[in-house]
Amino acid sequence: MKNLRKTLAVAVALATVSGAASAAGLKFDKADNRFSWDSLAKFEAMDLSGKTIRFDGPWIDGDADNLLTVLAYFEEATGATVEYNGSNDFEQLVLVDMKAGNPPNLAAWPQPGTVAELASQGNLAPLPSSVEAAVKESYAAGQSWVDLGTYAGADGNEAMFGLPYNVNLKSIVWYVPENFEEAGYEIPQTMEELIALSDQIVADGGTPWCIGMESGGATGWVGTDWMEDLMLRTQTPETYDAWVSNEMPFNDPKVIEVMNTFGQFVLNDDYVDGSSSAVASIFFGDSPKGLFETPPKCYMHRQASFIPAFFPDEYKDTVGTDSDFFYFPSYASKDLGNPVLGAGTLVTMMKDSPEAQVLMDYLTTPVAHELWMAGQGFLTPHKGANLDAYSSEVLRKQGEIFLNATTFRFDASDLMPGAIGAGAFWTGMVDFTSGKSAEEVTADIQKAWDAIK
Amino acid sequence: MTEQIYSALIAILVGVTAVVVYFWGSNWILDTLISRSSRDNKEVLREKIRPWLFAGPAIFFLTLYLVYPVFETLWLSFHNSDSSAFVGLANYEWLFADREFHQTLQNNLLWLIIVPTLSTVLGLAVAVLADRSKFGTVAKSIVFMPMAISFVGASVIWKFVYHYNGEGDIQIGILNAVIVAFGGEPQFWLSITTWNSVLLMLILVWIQTGFAMVILGAALRGVPEETLEAAIIDGASRRQLFFRITLPQIMPTVIVVWTTIAILVLKVFDIVLAMTNGQWETQVLANLMYDWMFRGAGDFGRGSAIAIIIMISVIPIMAWNIYRFRKDEAGR
Repeated sequence: MKNLRKTLAVAVALATVSGAASAAGLKFDKADNRFSWDSLAKFEAMDLSGKTIRFDGPWIDGDADNLLTVLAYFEEATGATVEYNGSNDFEQLVLVDMKAGNPPNLAAWPQPGTVAELASQGNLAPLPSSVEAAVKESYAAGQSWVDLGTYAGADGNEAMFGLPYNVNLKSIVWYVPENFEEAGYEIPQTMEELIALSDQIVADGGTPWCIGMESGGATGWVGTDWMEDLMLRTQTPETYDAWVSNEMPFNDPKVIEVMNTFGQFVLNDDYVDGSSSAVASIFFGDSPKGLFETPPKCYMHRQASFIPAFFPDEYKDTVGTDSDFFYFPSYASKDLGNPVLGAGTLVTMMKDSPEAQVLMDYLTTPVAHELWMAGQGFLTPHKGANLDAYSSEVLRKQGEIFLNATTFRFDASDLMPGAIGAGAFWTGMVDFTSGKSAEEVTADIQKAWDAIK
Repeated sequence: MTEQIYSALIAILVGVTAVVVYFWGSNWILDTLISRSSRDNKEVLREKIRPWLFAGPAIFFLTLYLVYPVFETLWLSFHNSDSSAFVGLANYEWLFADREFHQTLQNNLLWLIIVPTLSTVLGLAVAVLADRSKFGTVAKSIVFMPMAISFVGASVIWKFVYHYNGEGDIQIGILNAVIVAFGGEPQFWLSITTWNSVLLMLILVWIQTGFAMVILGAALRGVPEETLEAAIIDGASRRQLFFRITLPQIMPTVIVVWTTIAILVLKVFDIVLAMTNGQWETQVLANLMYDWMFRGAGDFGRGSAIAIIIMISVIPIMAWNIYRFRKDEAGR
């Protein structure tokens, strides 16, 4: 019986080696002038027939369809075949494939921290210099984006290993325009105004903020996003970088100061819906719902661009009218420009090949961005991409925030080593909202960091 | 979806056919070759070869998928995070000094004591009581049903049981709904340390009680009637009948059930991953291993070291389990 079962298991394993997703059709007509079709010319001149490029990434369902549309035009132009494999557990699968000596040509990573580790182990190939040049020139705040993808390789030399492609925006505050109108509130242009508005709402008997941090095993990440956004608004980008790399210890007075700034919001029972001690137990996806109740349970909600997916059903499709957002403003009193916090994916080359390099080049062209902008869930700092390609006014406005950014910084918790950014930092934010002091919390996180050095 | 079903069906068909062809075919080839042979000890030879033909695939796959990984894991555990340099016992030294590991060991110990014991006791209770009740069969089927649910599926169900909404909101989690109905305060259960681990254990108890019930139920029926009758004639009370006559006779089975569940508990992973991912001090060894192995670019050295610890802690229980089982079998 046992050998039967074993043999069966092998047979099943062999037979279910999943067929890679096949190419989607060419969704947009080449007469459609929202797209920069001329950027395809260079690729049409190439003949890559019979070549196959394997591309693994975290995108599934609708996201994967959008990517396949982007890739379909590449396939049509060059004749190459791109096999895209998407999975929720993409990181684990790729690591296993990598250890087995069978990595994909291209892989898109949501966590730059991982890219840094893989680069230092020698598991990534440096990107062609044309990619680096294209990013520097055509991305808004180009150097920030080049730096984001630049890490030390196995030989210790720095090189660009990751191309930022498909980003999302975290520095935004959601609100319901009708509520603002009724109460006579204006959109704050500076952090000072935002705080004054919060006090005004409290004085009027309302509650300014809804904050919820519960997210199962990832509880606490909402707090880390707040911290990061506030750090960019009170400290220099260099301090932010030093914090991310732990050159500046986590319990540095500057970090403690930022945490206490967050405390002004989250630990203030007048400021948050419910009580501050309940923040860690409210599901992050439920917290924005307070905006839509009558009377509103809160007036503002700071959360990334994806959050409308969690709005009550009747408000999901009316973003831009029933709900809207504004840029989480910076302090007028501090000269730090307009920093933007975001996250996104870095496309890396795990197995170098001439075709893979061509595909990397293609991903820096305007059309490769516009094709996904016309779908859903894609923002880009690419200056050459036509803003008209965005499928909605909301996405377009978010895209503009990226283009106006003077500084871009990636989500720090994704840049830190996993044990910190996806562990001690999260837990620390939970502890902070349940009453531990900023000094204690930051000291705990630094201790955890020392343990992995 | 249809694609998956389709390929699953093909896999089953190919698998079953291949197995039938292999066993029937290899047997036929052996018979044909032997009958053509002119040796005089050919019958003896045939009976010597045949077991290897039949057991061969099993031995091959066990070696490939079980024995080889054990040595590979051991090798990895003496190397650094990307297995490029030998580091000796450094991973183990780190592990035993790590605070999270101590916490995890404590949790696993709690799991090891609570889950097998509670499942066995409850399973035995249901098996005994159901025999005396009119609704016994129905009750048994209901207790057995969770066995059919995957750990992750069960976790999703229990996530709803423990669900918490802010105070003043409608509680959709049944536990909080009951507490609020009796005038209590709703709690965010999964964040209350120590108790949250117990709440996770209850999920496994819920699943495993059915298993204990079925095995112990069978053992109960194996208790000879004469021994019970003799005790009744001697004037034993019901309590004495159970604790002095029945229980000692099924004790070997109780131990096998306990140890089987204990082995399962040491490997518990899915429930913790799906419910808390080890936050709020609910970490267990298997999830800790997965975390180190696959978080970020993965630390195969530390992950493997934890895997070895899990294996070492399972071995004594497994050995005892097999020893008891053999002794039990021999006694029949």
